[in-house]
Amino acid sequence: MHYLLTDTLIAGLPLLPVVMGIYLVIRIRQDFDLTVDGSLTLGGAVAAVSLNHGLPVPVAIIAAIAAGMLAGLVTTTLHLAFRVPVILAGLVMSIGMRTLNLRVLGRPSTSLDAGAGLFGGLSGLAPTAHDWIVIAILAAFALVFLAGVSLLLLTEVGLALRATGVNVGMARAQGVDDRRSLALCLALANAGAGLSGALIVQSQGFADSSTGTGTLLAGIGAVLLGELVARPGSASRVGRVALSVLAGTVLYRAILVGALRAGLEATDLDGITALILVAAVAVNRYLPTLNKILPRPRSRAAPGARSSPPVRSTASRRPEPVAEEVG
Amino acid sequence: MLCLENIRLVHNPGTPTEVTALDGLDLHIPAGQFVTVVGSNGAGKSSLVNVVSGVHRPRSGRVIIDGRDVTRLPDHARAAWISRVFDNPLAGTAPELSLADNLALAMARGGRRRLRPALTRQRRELMRAQLATLGLGLENRLTDPVALFSAGQRQSVTMLMAGLTQPKLLLLDEHLAALDPRTRARVLELTVRMHDRLGCASLMITHSMRQAIDVGDRLLVMARGRVVFDAAGPDKTNLTPSDLVDIIAGLGDAPTDRQLLAG
Ligand SMILES: Nc1ncnc2c1ncn2[C@@H]1O[C@H](COP(=O)(O)OP(=O)(O)OP(=O)(O)O)[C@@H](O)[C@H]1O
Ligand SMILES: [Mg+2]
Repeated sequence: MHYLLTDTLIAGLPLLPVVMGIYLVIRIRQDFDLTVDGSLTLGGAVAAVSLNHGLPVPVAIIAAIAAGMLAGLVTTTLHLAFRVPVILAGLVMSIGMRTLNLRVLGRPSTSLDAGAGLFGGLSGLAPTAHDWIVIAILAAFALVFLAGVSLLLLTEVGLALRATGVNVGMARAQGVDDRRSLALCLALANAGAGLSGALIVQSQGFADSSTGTGTLLAGIGAVLLGELVARPGSASRVGRVALSVLAGTVLYRAILVGALRAGLEATDLDGITALILVAAVAVNRYLPTLNKILPRPRSRAAPGARSSPPVRSTASRRPEPVAEEVG
Repeated sequence: MLCLENIRLVHNPGTPTEVTALDGLDLHIPAGQFVTVVGSNGAGKSSLVNVVSGVHRPRSGRVIIDGRDVTRLPDHARAAWISRVFDNPLAGTAPELSLADNLALAMARGGRRRLRPALTRQRRELMRAQLATLGLGLENRLTDPVALFSAGQRQSVTMLMAGLTQPKLLLLDEHLAALDPRTRARVLELTVRMHDRLGCASLMITHSMRQAIDVGDRLLVMARGRVVFDAAGPDKTNLTPSDLVDIIAGLGDAPTDRQLLAG
């Protein structure tokens, strides 16, 4: 039981930044960005290579965040310059970045040098103490990122971002440049992915060219689970959004770790992810009925928008489960 | 204030569905003037509003606001000068955001959006005071998502948002169309009050001949992408709805049922 908890936290906390980023893209902007798969790997690769070159930990982590952010801005540029949908620009990026990531790493998998990274100095400790110190450090990074993004969403800039995802015509009429909002959203999401990659690589002790594969889907699973638990509803309730991301990520990881403990193979985890997605979508679908039983209704966009495509309701844009093989 | 020079706007150019929506339109509106616009469906009224607001860029001609050529500026870059209220009451607000967030978004219109809290206690106080002037009790519902409001409440909020900054120009495209008669009268009164308070120029599109005559300083009739009739002062106040219907009918454009009924 104890290991279930520590394993869940050690595997789950590093994912918080990227899940928050994915929440921004799919729920705040109502879009999909596959770049995060590549950015997470890239962040990990950049961190590993920097650390192995003897750079200090803060530099390695900042470099990983910057690399992810840059990838997000390239996706934004592809979208704006060639007017392709964000999902397609992200798909192209995620494929292209496989090559880039191999180039950065130099080979498919690289170990961190002994003693390198955030947790390099902890090797002499007893296992339990070691685990909890790792958890504390990971939690500090993840929660600072979560809090930072939440605070940003509460500023004038963040409010503009939230508005463009709900009613872009109205946001433009209020003077919001929605291209800038998109750039901010994708930059944040992929910066989160870069940070997640750096944290994962340092807690695992190695970087792999496929670390980030399936991140978007895993993130969607975590977001859906979080919405089931915390039900943030309106994008005006930023604190609840952060809480739902936190709960969803930990719960998602707990299910996977639990499945492993129950005797399933690592190769079964993709199937579990698919099941989580299907189950979460199914429950979300019947949430209106559930809402009659449970307190605190979700807010929905008013139906019957006459001739205004910008007015969207989140309910109609739930991501469908993707039956694609991951990993 | 607003100056349109020889505006030509063509939708879907080069395709079989090509439509010339504005055809060499010239218009000058001085500061502070309240202009009403009538015309049949497809006359180009909304096109006029969209060219002024920057949603559509004209194929030729110039849009000048306050002496500045804004023809090439996109709509969001013109928001400092222009406030808009749409015909669809759902279009002017973000339904999933709270009332306070919607108002805060409008308070920063035209300025630089910064990394400072969008909602402060001072701003909430200001919002409550402003909302209280609507007399709808909305001052107690700042945290409610706007999606929970009725069409009339949402349109009133949109009107209020339009006046939270100091626009030079208020664009109203049939903003009363979807409202019931009582709400319509109330929002119209709000419109006139706001125009007087802001001292801005206003351009109000309507299908009601009565409104067009009774409200504002100047009346325009549009047909086929041009202004075909332009009256102010006693010429305007002495018009009757049937005069207007005759003008529109005389152009070969069929007045809509709505116009005939509204007359
Ligand atoms: N987005 C568009 N694409 C193609 N054609 C358009 C578009 N918008 C308007 N038009 C055409 O341009 C012409 C002028 O339309 P506009 O919407 O300006 O008319 P209107 O005077 O506002 O009419 P209504 O009273 O029905 O609102 C019409 O012939 C219309 O079909
Ligand atoms: Mg129109």
